[in-house]
Amino acid sequence: MPGIDECLLEAMKLPGARGAAVVDWTSGLALGTVGESPSGDHETTAAETAELARMAAEFPSFAPADGSGWSDGDTPVNDLIVSNRDSYHVLQFVRTTFDSSVFLHLWLGRTEGNLALARIRLGEMARQLVLG
Amino acid sequence: MLHRLAAEKATGSFMRERGTLHLADGHVIHAESPDTPALELLLTAGGALSPEQWRQALDAAGPEQRVGRFLVDSGRFPEGALELCHLGALYDAAFFVLGPDGGPARFRYGVEHWLGAVRPVPVVAVQRETARRQELLHEIWPEDAADTEPLVRTRLPLDTRLPRRQRAVLEHVDGVRTAADIARLLGRPAFHTLVDVRRLAAAGIVAADAGIVAPTRRRPRPEALAARPPATSTGPDISLLRRLRNALEGL
Repeated sequence: MPGIDECLLEAMKLPGARGAAVVDWTSGLALGTVGESPSGDHETTAAETAELARMAAEFPSFAPADGSGWSDGDTPVNDLIVSNRDSYHVLQFVRTTFDSSVFLHLWLGRTEGNLALARIRLGEMARQLVLG
Repeated sequence: MLHRLAAEKATGSFMRERGTLHLADGHVIHAESPDTPALELLLTAGGALSPEQWRQALDAAGPEQRVGRFLVDSGRFPEGALELCHLGALYDAAFFVLGPDGGPARFRYGVEHWLGAVRPVPVVAVQRETARRQELLHEIWPEDAADTEPLVRTRLPLDTRLPRRQRAVLEHVDGVRTAADIARLLGRPAFHTLVDVRRLAAAGIVAADAGIVAPTRRRPRPEALAARPPATSTGPDISLLRRLRNALEGL
């Protein structure tokens, strides 16, 4: 069963991975980090990505429609993607069996990275992290 | 004192008025505070772990101080999930233990906590995070009365587009319960509840029941809870004026 560190090391195996973190979006705290961070400081990056994640998780515009089978225990948003000239950021929300507000953040080089693969793998890792 | 304990790789309990940090080899391995829901409550509230399973783990591994390890090794709880929940509880309690009104500290050497090491955290990381959290709360809403006093709904009409985590908090505001009570009811870290309470206070929807005059307005403010100053309105915005006054006083 993987812990936070194993999960992050797994994420770093993805092609083009530059850095990864497990972040709590209510507080902006990085619960675990690996590799580089775009700001040079994982704590600063965690606070910034948490703000973005919080907005996506809280604004009703991003939630699925009524009747889509979305339950209250679930995260309204699955993942967030930000792309710029040289990199991608994928924020994958983690669904837990206890109350939490956690997501996985992967920073990916654009030329080497495979966004589709990263999304699929991050989704799997988020499930493994909490289900073992 | 904490820095010295960390430097000498001390093991024991660091106690203040609002709780205890448990140290092993100079690292924080757990924290507990009467102001925050215990790890047990966070794990069992949502049904992630049954109270029986928790008791079994305590009985089996408590005496050897390795309850956390036992939960994982016996297949009762996945490692990643335990680390997430545990860190949530640790930083949550530490926020209150290390808070400005925590009073004098004392340390009892040699006391080992029954949970054992799950994911030890350096003392400086806990201190830094506590300071950052205090700042974060202050930025949302500078008054701390709502943190500890019973909470009341103001007469402001409810914004139906309230985020559901805030809505869950608001549903338990009844003029008697405090933020800590609501955190326990929701099985949610106390700091996370404070964040929502301060957002609700900033929006003028919730206030501490300590004689604070509830703001009155004719229309609900659109997008009341966005993380930015309220939009300009035609009438005087009492909550904005209060915020401004507090900010000026804080200079």
